[in-house]
Amino acid sequence: MIIERSSEWKEGFIKRLENLEPWSNWSLYNMSYEVEKNNLITEFRGLQSPKYLPALTPLSHQLEVAETVIERMNGKAILADEVGLGKTIEAGLILKEYLIRGLVKKALILAPASLINQWIEELNYKFYIPAIAYKKSYSLDHYDVVVMSMDTAKKSPHRELIYAQDYDMIIIDEAHKLKNHKTKIYEFVQSLKKKFCLLLTATPIQNDVFELFYLISLLKPGHLGNFETFQTSFSASKHSLEHDEYLRELVNQVMVRNRRQDTGIEWTNRKVQIVPIHFTPEEKEVYDMILELKNVSPVFSGAFSMITLQKEMCSSKEATYLTLNKMRQNCVEADEAEFVEQIIQKLMALETNSKAEKAYEIVSEANDKVIIFTEYRASQAYLQWYLNSKGITSVLFNGQFNKNKREWMKRLFKEQAQVLIATESGGEGINLQFCHHVINYDLPWNPMKLEQRIGRVHRLGQEHDVHIYNLAIHDTIEEDILHLLNMKIDVFEKVVGELDDILSAFKKSI
Amino acid sequence: MYPQQVHSYLQTFFRENNCQILSDNNHYITVQLTIDMDKKIMNRPYYWKYLESTNGVPCPAQLTFITNQNKLEKDIKGEVVHFGSPRLNQLFQATKELGAFVQMYEKVVDKFESRPFLTPWLGVNYKVSYYSDQTKEILHSFGINLMTGNVVEDFQESLREVDFGSVMSENVFHLPYIIKPIRALERLDSVIENIIQHDDHTWAEEANRRWQRDLEVLEHFYVGIENRPECYEMEKKALKEQYESRIKIEIISGGIFYLK
Repeated sequence: MIIERSSEWKEGFIKRLENLEPWSNWSLYNMSYEVEKNNLITEFRGLQSPKYLPALTPLSHQLEVAETVIERMNGKAILADEVGLGKTIEAGLILKEYLIRGLVKKALILAPASLINQWIEELNYKFYIPAIAYKKSYSLDHYDVVVMSMDTAKKSPHRELIYAQDYDMIIIDEAHKLKNHKTKIYEFVQSLKKKFCLLLTATPIQNDVFELFYLISLLKPGHLGNFETFQTSFSASKHSLEHDEYLRELVNQVMVRNRRQDTGIEWTNRKVQIVPIHFTPEEKEVYDMILELKNVSPVFSGAFSMITLQKEMCSSKEATYLTLNKMRQNCVEADEAEFVEQIIQKLMALETNSKAEKAYEIVSEANDKVIIFTEYRASQAYLQWYLNSKGITSVLFNGQFNKNKREWMKRLFKEQAQVLIATESGGEGINLQFCHHVINYDLPWNPMKLEQRIGRVHRLGQEHDVHIYNLAIHDTIEEDILHLLNMKIDVFEKVVGELDDILSAFKKSI
Repeated sequence: MYPQQVHSYLQTFFRENNCQILSDNNHYITVQLTIDMDKKIMNRPYYWKYLESTNGVPCPAQLTFITNQNKLEKDIKGEVVHFGSPRLNQLFQATKELGAFVQMYEKVVDKFESRPFLTPWLGVNYKVSYYSDQTKEILHSFGINLMTGNVVEDFQESLREVDFGSVMSENVFHLPYIIKPIRALERLDSVIENIIQHDDHTWAEEANRRWQRDLEVLEHFYVGIENRPECYEMEKKALKEQYESRIKIEIISGGIFYLK
């Protein structure tokens, strides 16, 4: 056993004995002893941090998570609470505990750029942890707790500067960004020394169970075996999980997940419905012509471009036109170009957008604030114009907005506009509890994106029931997407745990 | 520590460090720092360097600390201090530095005794910390009689009732020590080591088991791979740092005590 001792006191004592320095004051001597006695960590177990944080009242599930991670998982865990249950608070409690116990001196927090300020504020004001946001001119030697964006961290020279430090704790927010093991950021985190490590994500599986394998292999390589053994035991086919129970138990050894209903807090209801829509005959005609394209020209034979076009046609003619027009230029044969031209003409002649009409109907019936999520910028602009023509005010929201613009748009939405129209990338990092209607105008492939979207409004602080409308056009690719979303949700629930309703209140069994 | 305890802590701390208390309400306190205290807690070395090189008039800071914000009746501007706040931690640290070494003499009031005499003791307060992936701390307070070498436990507690002065009184005989304080300190050091050796170290065995288990898991990941990548070694190193048990012995305070 290593025993560390310091001769510091002895040296000071000798100086006093030789009358080189004055003796201390008796009251301060006693005060100092009392302070030591008061602050003593008398038990290996239990949390010290709450008594140092009188201004913070953690919820019971947050305290439980902190205790479980420290005592049962030895400080290496995936925090996978549902969106809006306070994963940052849990991570803060754990970090604070290790700082108090002297087990962590230096910590590195990696977060998306848009969340850095929020981390800095929470750590400093709620936890009294002097964290700073990394700037190029700062030397990492001088700061013990640093928050940095993943994009910065993985690049030279920052990457090397981080490797040169000796961090005791690594916290990674929105850790599902590490789901792909072939990315630079994955490689970067893999080579980082992880003595204590927290991965925060509400969505540890987005598409398939391998994402979870890679995430856990970052945290604790070998916990799920190596890739070959994992592949043979857990994935004969992607979606049939033979050892559900066993896998789930292994996962639970390194992952904590609270659901809204486990928290003992009264949550408002989530009312989810799929709203079926029928194309007008004219719209359907264009859609079918688009399907024909792959038989007409090799330019359209790629599955990806076909899928894009179909999805866009389900969204708006504006979105479809942009792609179609671009692809027309690639057509070599005259008859091919001719056919595309025909489609474009029919497309531009369309007078109704059935989906937009439905969206308008929902908005006017709700007679309240509504968020509309679309996947396309062109549809976003169209919807704003269309709603405006019906006398409904709206603001736009994109992920590229900087912090000021985000805040400004959020305020405009809160105070003036009835509708906020966001593109996919607007899904993270804004909290809009004052709104309780969400329209998923276009469906993403990934169910967790839906969960992230809903999480913007259905989170702590929401006082009303939340209504979710998933729009899907009958007899189009959107029905396939619905089917796939259901399968993915099924995989998630088998391995990770139940999910709150995302698609509809009635779960399909497959 | 409750707000009231924090408040009286601040009162005593500044009073004992000769900082004038300008106003003192139950829930806030305003103090005039001395130059020394300003240098210790205000964290502005350049100001003091500048002042000293220009022979300027020193102007140590005045600070207002709010100990219970909820009970303030007026609008008071000041720093909110509570258990866990960085300022209080800083003052704890300052207290530790300013209260680490004493030399005290028990006051003798018995006038009938012809020649009262006082025996020298060395008192030392140790903090022992056990670290693995968990922590536990224990305080030990020892006194050793510098005449006889006799060692007693809970020394600090036994001084509670004793009335001390910081200077020798005239008509009291102070026995010279037979055992030199530094030798006595070494004796106490070995006493504490002996106690640690005989303590229950299940915690270290358990940490070791956790370590071994995680090592096995890691091996499992690389089974059949001959040339193991750098991150394998990195993981092993991380596990060592996470679980390896170590013990830290720290002296927090101590001194010479002349006792009846």
